[in-house]
Order: sequence, then C-alpha cells, then structure tokens
Amino acid sequence: MIQVDELRKEYDGVVAVDDVSFEARPGEIFGLLGPNGAGKSTTIGCISGLLTPTAGSVRIQQYDVAREPVAAKSRMGIVPQEVALYEDLPAEENLRFWAEAYGLRGERAAERVRAVLDTVGLADRGNDRVETFSGGMKRRLNFGCGIVHEPEVLLLDEPTVGVDPQSRVRLLDLVREQAGAGVCVLYTTHYMEEAEALCDRLAILDHGKIIAAGTLEELRGKEGERDLVRLSGSFDPEAVGRAVSDVEGVEIVAAGPEQVALAVAAASRRLPEILTLVSGTGAAVRETTVTRPSLESLFIRLTGKELRE
Amino acid sequence: MRFLLATARKDLLRLRSDWPALLLWIGIPLLVGGLLVLVFGGDSNPRARLLVDDRDSSLAGRLLTGGFSQGPLAEIVDVEGVATDEGLRRIEDGDASALLVIPEGFGAALLDGRPASLELVKNPAQTILPAILEATLDIELEAAEVLRRLFDEPIARIAADEDREGFPPDSLVASVAAEFNRAGEGARGWLLPPAIELATVEPPAEQAFDFGRAFFPGMLILALLFMATGLSADVWSERRLGTLERAIVTPGGVGTFVAGKWLAGAAALALVAAIGLVAGRWAFGIEIANPALAFVWLALVGVALLAAFTLVQVLAKSERAASVLVNAVTLPLAMLGGSFFPFEAMPSWMVALGKATPNGWALLRLRAIVDGDPEPRLLAVSAIGVIALLVGGGWLVTRRIRSWTS
Repeated sequence: MIQVDELRKEYDGVVAVDDVSFEARPGEIFGLLGPNGAGKSTTIGCISGLLTPTAGSVRIQQYDVAREPVAAKSRMGIVPQEVALYEDLPAEENLRFWAEAYGLRGERAAERVRAVLDTVGLADRGNDRVETFSGGMKRRLNFGCGIVHEPEVLLLDEPTVGVDPQSRVRLLDLVREQAGAGVCVLYTTHYMEEAEALCDRLAILDHGKIIAAGTLEELRGKEGERDLVRLSGSFDPEAVGRAVSDVEGVEIVAAGPEQVALAVAAASRRLPEILTLVSGTGAAVRETTVTRPSLESLFIRLTGKELRE
Repeated sequence: MRFLLATARKDLLRLRSDWPALLLWIGIPLLVGGLLVLVFGGDSNPRARLLVDDRDSSLAGRLLTGGFSQGPLAEIVDVEGVATDEGLRRIEDGDASALLVIPEGFGAALLDGRPASLELVKNPAQTILPAILEATLDIELEAAEVLRRLFDEPIARIAADEDREGFPPDSLVASVAAEFNRAGEGARGWLLPPAIELATVEPPAEQAFDFGRAFFPGMLILALLFMATGLSADVWSERRLGTLERAIVTPGGVGTFVAGKWLAGAAALALVAAIGLVAGRWAFGIEIANPALAFVWLALVGVALLAAFTLVQVLAKSERAASVLVNAVTLPLAMLGGSFFPFEAMPSWMVALGKATPNGWALLRLRAIVDGDPEPRLLAVSAIGVIALLVGGGWLVTRRIRSWTS
C-alpha cells in the first residue's frame, strides 16, 4: 500500500508538487496521469526516497519513507523513466546485482534472476551484454530489475516512453501480471489510452496538483457524458464565448484564435446548430472533430489544454 | 554489507569487461619502466661503434684499428669495416659513434716520416663515445710517431733494401733486431722506472646512479594516480546511466554504494601495485626490503587517491567540468610529486612543495620501505590519515551525490 498525505515539493521556491494526497492499494494499478512537467516524476521521486519532500508524508505499507527508509525502501521496486542498466554487463549480472542490492543472496537470488529473465522474455539472452540489446529488450530488462526482489509496491515512471508497440504491449501485460500477483502498482504516464487500458484508479495531475481522481467510470461521470467538439480555423474567442454562453448543454472548454473546444451533450445531433452559432461570430471553421467522453476530454475540460502539451 | 560486496563485485566485473583500460593501467608502470630501460640501457656499460674505411690496407692501418680491440677498449668499442658512403649514412642514422677513413698511402707516409692524415667523422648526436674514440686515436698516433723516431735508422735500412727481391738477409734482420733491443733497453729507464712503485689504492666503490631505483617507485605512484583518476570518474558514468539514482533508492543507500565502488577500486589498484612490484624486481632488479609492506602501502595509497579524486569529481557541476578539474589537480601533483622527475633532480623549493603533496609523501614512504627503512611512526600516521580520508571523504561524497537528486 502507498499512502501519500499532503505531499509538497519545492525547488528554489518553485512548487513542483503541491498538496498531493492519494492512496494506492495492494493488487491495484493506480495511475498518475498528466502532461510533461505536471509533477509526476517528482511525486514518484518523493515516494521512492530519491527526493526529500518539503512537506507531507509517504508511507509504504506501514513504514514512513522519511523515518524508516530501510524498511520502506526494501518493500519497493522502481522502474525509472530512463533505462538504468549496466550496458557492459550481461543481463543476468544486471539482475543479480539489483537482486543483491535488495538483500537476496545465493540460490534464492539465482532463482529469481532465472525467473525474471523468463518473465521478461530474455531467458535466451541472459549471458549477453546489455549493449547488444534492442531498445525494447532494454526496457523489458529495466522492468525486470525493478521486480527481481519481488517488491510489495512497484513504482513505474513512464516505462513505455519511446518503446515500440510490440514491447509496449508486453510491458503493459507485465504490469498487469504484477498487480494480479497482489503488488500495489503506481504507474505514471502521459498516454491517455495507456491509463484507460491499464489503471484501476487514476489521479490527474497538472501544475503539481491533483485536479481529479477516481476510477475511470467516476472520472467519466465528472465529464457529464458530454462529447468534446473541437473546431479549427480562425476565431474571435470572446465573440464565440458570448455566442454559446446561453446555449443549454454547451460549455466552452478552451477558446483561442485558431482553435475552440466545446463540451456538448449529444454533439452529433446539435452540431449544425453549434456551427451556425460560431459562424455567426465571423469565424471561419475549417475542421470539426467530435470526441466521445474520455480522459482526454476530461483533461481538456479541466485544464483547458491538450494532455500532450 | 551485502550491498557493499555486490557493488564491489559488479564494479570488478565491469572492469574486467573493460579489459583494455585495465591493461593500460597495469601497463603504465611496465611501459614507463621499459622505456627507461631502453633509454638508459639495461647494460650499464655504453658501447661505441667505430666504422673504418681502410683504403690503405697497410700494417700501420691495421695496427691502428687493432688497438681499439685490445684490453679494456675492447669492452666498449666495436670496430666494423665499411665504405665511406655507408659509414656516413650510418652516422646519420645514429648507428655508430664515428667513422675513421684511412687514406691510401698512409702506412708508407708514416714509415717515411712524411705528413700523413686521417679523417675521423664523429656522430654529433653523441658526446662522450666519439670523444673517447678521438682521444684514443690521438694516443695511438703519438705512440706511432715515437716508435718511428726511435727506430728511424733501422727502418730506413730495411726500406733502403726494398729493391732486393724476397725477404731481407738474416744478417740485416739480426742487426736491426739487436738495435731494437738496445733502443728498448735504453728507454727502459723512462718506460719502466724501477724507483717508482705504483701503489694502487682502490677507493670505496661509488654507487652508480641507479635509474630503476630512482624512477620506479615514482612510476608506481604515478600509475596509481592515473588509475585512481580514471576509476573516480565512474561516479559520473553511474549518474549518466541512471544506475546511481537507482542505487540511491535501495535500502543500502548511496553511502554503501560508494563504499562498494571504493572497495572494487582498491582491489584493482592493489592488483596493479602487485604487478608493478613484481615488474620492478624483474625489469630493474630492484631488491625490495619488505615487499608485503610495500604492497599494503601501495594499496592504501591507491584507495586514498581514489577517495580524494572521487571527492574532486563530485564537487564539479558537470562531467566535463569534473574532467577538467581532475586533470588540473592530477598533472601538477604528478609533476611535483617526484614521479615525472625525481626529487634529486628538482630545485630545493620544488622539492619542499613536492614532498608535501599526497603522492610525494606516499613516494617518500614507499622509497623508505623499498630501502628497508620504513619509518613505522610515519606509516602509522599515514594509515590513520587514509582512514580519516575514507570516512570523511565518503561522508562528503555521499552528501554531494544526495544533493544532485534532492
């Protein structure tokens, strides 16, 4: 279990994580979703003990990371965002080193190394130096190093960034297997589809703050089952705002000179009406996109910007 | 403890996989020692090569060059016949000390008392050996002139009889031999003065300058210095690889991780020290009074240098800055510390500075151990200093690394 309470981290007066609280349970995949720079990695850094929080507390199982770091850290496994491996050593030696770093020894360590090599699909490459591996293989081994000591809590910091689709699917399966085995997984990503496909519960992070949290269904419910209508072209944002402000079931999400986003109930039926209203402001609409309620539309509605920005 | 040993094992495996670097480190003392042997010669007696173009082929010419192959001269001079062109080329190539050209008619001119000349071309790249050859040649020519004057008359009689075919008659040979004998008897008082007894007193043998003994301890310290510098940079590799951050979040923490790296470094440095000591005995024939103590001292010095350089590395803001900073520290230390130049060849102010450098201090203690005068009190103080450096340096390095991430 991970218990984060009122976590805050400042760097030279800049607040990177602001009053973040959540709880992730055993066997659950808890997602931290947010754009680059939202504070996801900083949050994971504070949880893992890499960073010292400015305020707040983190508990791993019943152990406070700041007060009982050895007990807390020995129950955690980390899969960092960047591949962190010794390229001049064979895969087997990499796994063995990290297994021993967490106290495994002798036959137990050797057994786990063999098991993990098998799990990550590198059983036949265990004696090969990592520098000969493809990017996807390195990612899988990187994941293996995080689970070799059978942690109770697994922290994954955007483990699929830059990974080919095949390896990505394999990695996501591995994450599910860990959760299925009762491991509490904290998963950060800025890929919406990944979060939707993988996570049992989510917290959406922006500017260091949690702006929404809950299960996928709960978050979709916050969206109010409204579609997201995105219009591209040239607009007068204020005029568009005035034109739609009194229309029932339509809400401005974002408005700029080149793009306007609207949350609209039953958009496909009401699209002609909306286009007429917007065109009446002197706007030239070149492209229209309707998206069904999703995390992305929720994120845009909550923050006014695309998740990948 | 488990993490410490695991880290040390991991680093040793990485060092083994980077065997060219390991070989280079091991090779530094061997390479420099080998170069010293080549430069100063494994044999302490230098040899001169005298090339001779004898165009006269007379007895006088053969006696002249034969003189270089007699007695003590034979131990330092090699005489070889060549044509002038080849001789000049070989002088140019530095393959010989001098070329002696004996012109046609030299022997006849010498017997007739006519002016005769020899040409000696000296190798300008050498100083002492050509001078020895020139001086020897002068003495031989002086001796030839004295003999010619002593036996001028009988020689003239033999020369006057040259028209006769075949050998001179026995009567002429007997009379000339008798005159030779009388002349020798007459000169005996000067040549073998019986009133003077030559008492040869052997002065105490002056110890020749032993290049191996002077340079090799410094080379060993230099090898450790360079190796410690290289090993200390691995902290930046770990940071670049991301493994340093991963190590920080392990239960053992970064302090144990750094200690493990130093343990691996100490093992590698000790290996190089051992190879260096064996090579010193083998290449220079250096008798080490206490090899075990020398080994322990070198291992201790190595790990102290590694700790100090790791501290210098982590104080820098970037890997590149660290490289510049470490080089800026290493080179003056190497120059001053008696490794590149022995203290004996330095001005006194530089010696004072050099002996105060860590590597200079280490070198003095090593020399004392090699010479059988290990100064136990100073060694004990040094060992305490090294332990303090490891503890204090380890704490500072750990704090600095933590500050990189937190």
